Amino acid sequence: MATKSVLFKIKRQPTPSSKPYWEEFELAHHPGMNVISSLMEIAANPVTRDGKPTTPITYDSNCLEEVCGSCAMLINGRARMACSALIDNLEQPVKLEPFSKFPVVRDLAVDRSVIFENLKAVKAWIPVDGTYDLGPGPRMSQDEQESIYPLSRCISCCCCMEACPQFNEETGFVGAATIAQVRLFNTHPTGQGLKPERLAALMGDGGIQECGYAQNCVEVCPKDIPLTKAISEVGGEVMKQAFTNLLDR
Amino acid sequence: MASAASSTAPAITPGIKQGVAPLRAGHGTSFFLRRLHSLTGIIPVGAFLFEHILISNATAISGPEAYARQVSFLANLPLVFFLELFGIWLPIAYHALYGFYIWYRGDGNVVEYPWSGNWMYTAQRWTGGIAFIYIVWHTWTMRFTGVDLHMYPAASFGKVQAEVFQPGLFLFYVVGLVAASWHFAYGIWLFCAKWGIVPGERARKRFLVVCICFFFLLTGVGLASLATFRSRPLQPIDSSAPAMTLVLPAKVQPVEGR
Repeated sequence: MATKSVLFKIKRQPTPSSKPYWEEFELAHHPGMNVISSLMEIAANPVTRDGKPTTPITYDSNCLEEVCGSCAMLINGRARMACSALIDNLEQPVKLEPFSKFPVVRDLAVDRSVIFENLKAVKAWIPVDGTYDLGPGPRMSQDEQESIYPLSRCISCCCCMEACPQFNEETGFVGAATIAQVRLFNTHPTGQGLKPERLAALMGDGGIQECGYAQNCVEVCPKDIPLTKAISEVGGEVMKQAFTNLLDR
Repeated sequence: MASAASSTAPAITPGIKQGVAPLRAGHGTSFFLRRLHSLTGIIPVGAFLFEHILISNATAISGPEAYARQVSFLANLPLVFFLELFGIWLPIAYHALYGFYIWYRGDGNVVEYPWSGNWMYTAQRWTGGIAFIYIVWHTWTMRFTGVDLHMYPAASFGKVQAEVFQPGLFLFYVVGLVAASWHFAYGIWLFCAKWGIVPGERARKRFLVVCICFFFLLTGVGLASLATFRSRPLQPIDSSAPAMTLVLPAKVQPVEGR
């Protein structure tokens, strides 16, 4: 392997409603290259493998260090972040596709606004807004901080949703990320105020009950968030809330 | 919620396929129905399977007379028809039909994501389907057709033997036993995971071992019972056969004995 080259098979789709098609690209190999740096190279010289000029590939990206959650796509069929996908660790040709369960905007860019709607539906925030300074909030114990810190690492990349067999148009399942955020904000001493509302939201259609516990979410999560644990804990909280709602009024 | 729905609309460019709908907070009954499905799998359906394999069928190991006594005991439970209807048939029918609905709505993806949890997700659907087909056939031939075992408990052992001695049906029994046992054992694990009873990573792993042991217990005892049916001499099924008169007094025995 003297002058190595890297082959790419990329799914193109110029408009949201047009039919997707494949294009192949060939790049010279250099050490440390990843999927995003490869897409940048293609953008600098957008010519397919057989020499036809084409358009640069559209994709979302921002931080290039796996903390912003923008560049999630299907790489060799699996949901993952493109910036941390090193070419040397991938089988060739490297197959790039947009997420299959989100509306395609163009090429590899998809509309992931559903997660934002879901986070709003469960009130994934801490209610501190008011007309006067509320002062410092209650302190959290070290244990509690450590138990929920991993949940705060979520970057809303939607990998957990893409890989979930239950996340589809039939079920309208909310997905693991949002449930983990419910856990995060329900544990926060000030965030706890909205706990009953968050749990009630998760009892709606598409709520936590749709989880089939296939556990793909926790496997694909680029931030190693304990998603199955969060789903389990929130599952218990939701049941307690359901019984409270039933017996307490 | 109307506001949440309307705020979605402008975010999506016209012409784009809508994709997966956001959470419908406060809407629908799927939470109740799905959790009821989960619960019926444990109680009463799972509890019945436990009794059926580990208690009733296991008495077959002690021979035709013990088996007839057990069948007679069950047949003489008060309001047995209603126990069967509300304790077994309706819960199983609900669990199965809603289960098929869940299966239909999921998009299995073990090819793309071939991980153990995902395989178990798929296996839970297939074992459920196989168990359901088996259960429908088994209930039809054992409870609703042929000699009525509630009337003639003494014919029970022979009636089972008549099926188990046919190699094809014997295989069907084994497949049905394994499928139902796995579905229940892994179902207990799923129930405890989903209802927050065993949330921890390590605790879940350990509990999985417990559930797999339980699967082997169910399957092992079930196979031992099946082996007994095949190893004993054929018992008469005819309700007027001498074996029946031999065991008939036993019909009263459990009442005295207990």
